Amino acid sequence: MSETKFLEVLDKAHTGPVCKVKDWEARIVPLEIKRILKEHGLTGVCAPENPVNTDDGLVDDFWEAGFELALSTGMLCLATERIIKFTEEELKEALRNRPSRLTLGSGSDRVVIEPRKPEDKKPPITTMTPLGITFSEDLIIPVCQAIAQYRVVDIVISPCLLTFHGRICRGGTPYETLWGKYEGLLVREATRRAGRPGMPAWGVESSPTEYGYLGGYGAPGSFDPSWAIAIALLPSPLKTDYSLLHKVAHAINWGAPIESGHWTMIGGYEGPPEGAAVGALAAHVLQCAVMQPTVIQSDILDVRYFGNCGREAIWANSITVQARSMKTNTLPFGVTSQVSGPCTDMLLYETACISVAEVSSGICMVMGTRPTGCRFPDYASGLENRFCAEVVKASAGLRRGEACELVKALLPRYEDRLRRPPKGLSFPQCTDLKTLQPTPEWQAIYEKVWKELENLGLQKPWK
Amino acid sequence: MSSVTEKLKEAIRIGSEKDAREMAEKFVEQGGDPLAAISEVTVLMQEIGDKFSRFEIFLPEVILAADAVKEALAVLTAKIPEEKKREIRRGKVVIGTVFGDIHDIGKNLVATMLQVAGFEVVDLGADVPSGRFVDEAEKVKADIIAMSSLITPSMIYQKDVIDQLQDMGVRSRYRIMVGGAPVTPQWAERISADGWGKYAEDAVEVAKILMEGSREVSGLVARGAPGE
Repeated sequence: MSETKFLEVLDKAHTGPVCKVKDWEARIVPLEIKRILKEHGLTGVCAPENPVNTDDGLVDDFWEAGFELALSTGMLCLATERIIKFTEEELKEALRNRPSRLTLGSGSDRVVIEPRKPEDKKPPITTMTPLGITFSEDLIIPVCQAIAQYRVVDIVISPCLLTFHGRICRGGTPYETLWGKYEGLLVREATRRAGRPGMPAWGVESSPTEYGYLGGYGAPGSFDPSWAIAIALLPSPLKTDYSLLHKVAHAINWGAPIESGHWTMIGGYEGPPEGAAVGALAAHVLQCAVMQPTVIQSDILDVRYFGNCGREAIWANSITVQARSMKTNTLPFGVTSQVSGPCTDMLLYETACISVAEVSSGICMVMGTRPTGCRFPDYASGLENRFCAEVVKASAGLRRGEACELVKALLPRYEDRLRRPPKGLSFPQCTDLKTLQPTPEWQAIYEKVWKELENLGLQKPWK
Repeated sequence: MSSVTEKLKEAIRIGSEKDAREMAEKFVEQGGDPLAAISEVTVLMQEIGDKFSRFEIFLPEVILAADAVKEALAVLTAKIPEEKKREIRRGKVVIGTVFGDIHDIGKNLVATMLQVAGFEVVDLGADVPSGRFVDEAEKVKADIIAMSSLITPSMIYQKDVIDQLQDMGVRSRYRIMVGGAPVTPQWAERISADGWGKYAEDAVEVAKILMEGSREVSGLVARGAPGE
């Protein structure tokens, strides 16, 4: 990471063209996407009936379109209301300079994250977590341990804290500065109890503003660069702000590997699935230039149900993952975002579809899972994370056409329920808290769905 | 007159605030009935909302159309007698994402759909301190305060706003709506909010019910997630 490059970015945030956020969201970005889609002949090419793309020519076209958008718009800094713009050479250099290898953790739990290509036989790294889900304070260690106990899981992340030493978590306050460190201590304790003290993590997950992150990353005993990736998420694609840039500055000071990420929305500012794909690719390029990330998330959600397991979202994610993995040597990762809850077969179907699509498309790391779209506190468990990690490893080497057929077979089993999904059960309801094993009911659902996957040709990596 | 109305509607469709204002001005200059024009604009906005729900158009087009409507309505409603204004009034909503939370697409969706449905919307943006919701609602004499939160550590600020209104003795002046990914009906009930909706269109339905019921609605009005 280069402090000099980051200083240049900060300078651009103070000297770039002035722009109001409303103009940016409602006019500049949408109109530019519309123009680019038209000029590149990409309007209406989304093929929901074949949700995993197999056309390399289309990947080329989308990558060119995404790069063109990054070059023509740049990224808006909300704090200064100025656009951070880059030249073509600056963007290309930023992509070239991203690391293509990251080693984290220690001992038998050390992981190496490397680029993959579509249909690559190398298994992706699995980062599992109740991602973005709020958990009761006394259940943080148990749920992290319940996930870390499965060796198929490579990296673990804490859920968000509901309380901190019994106090309600209030973002943007000194409480947050304190709980940033606390989260790191809880994750460390969970991996120790799981017998995996060298297991890597990410942090600070419970950091809605920069405070939790500044307090937690680098604090003694908490997250540090030897075992933890520093999380820094954009407020939305193609926009940044000082809160995010503080996190980047802090990571540079610590020499920490940075995760950058965002969600582009189908139906949102970027418009149709094709527009969302172009927007997500532009965001991948611009994140490299603005934040110097080590691992890069650039995923697409569907605004109709706020998940990424429907046809259009899977298609859009498949094409962007293919472009990001084929056209760069960066470390792109994907997040699975479900809408149904634990102890339902729908959660596993959703998980399987997006995982299979992304792994066959060349993702180098999959992060999951987000049962109920993060709506209900404590609604996550170890088992869906085990399942996600197993499907990810099992999908290595799958051809995109095979993945497409598998997804096509699974989608009809749940897609009509995406807007009214089953809530399922909470962690204590579907887990034996003494043994951290799933209840027989949840275990039976897991086995049933795995059997269905095996019948469709996906082999469980180990029994 | 009908050609001016058509041009006004076209200005709204393409999201031109300037043309919408000019056509509305021309309409009233030529002696047109502003109530008739508002009625046509309302039908058009319903069509635009329907197109968005079918993904025939997308959020930016709806936002621009809603802004153009705002311009046109400012001209048209100025020409309506006060008693008639009360009849057609949907209500005024102060909306924002609460403190510590910078996410805004969900809030923008709801704000836009409320505008489409004819509500007057004052959008405070994201990361809004609790006191600002209160100050702004008092200043513009809002009917509804709508608060969004996408992250749990910020949800508590929805309660802070309600507590502040309570402590100031002005809680009964407002209907409070809350929403956002982690915000459940149970949470809404716990903090004594009046309305909760799962999706943007649910929020509009809830706002309509809250306004129809005026101050007599009791208990939470929730739409969009039976059984949650």
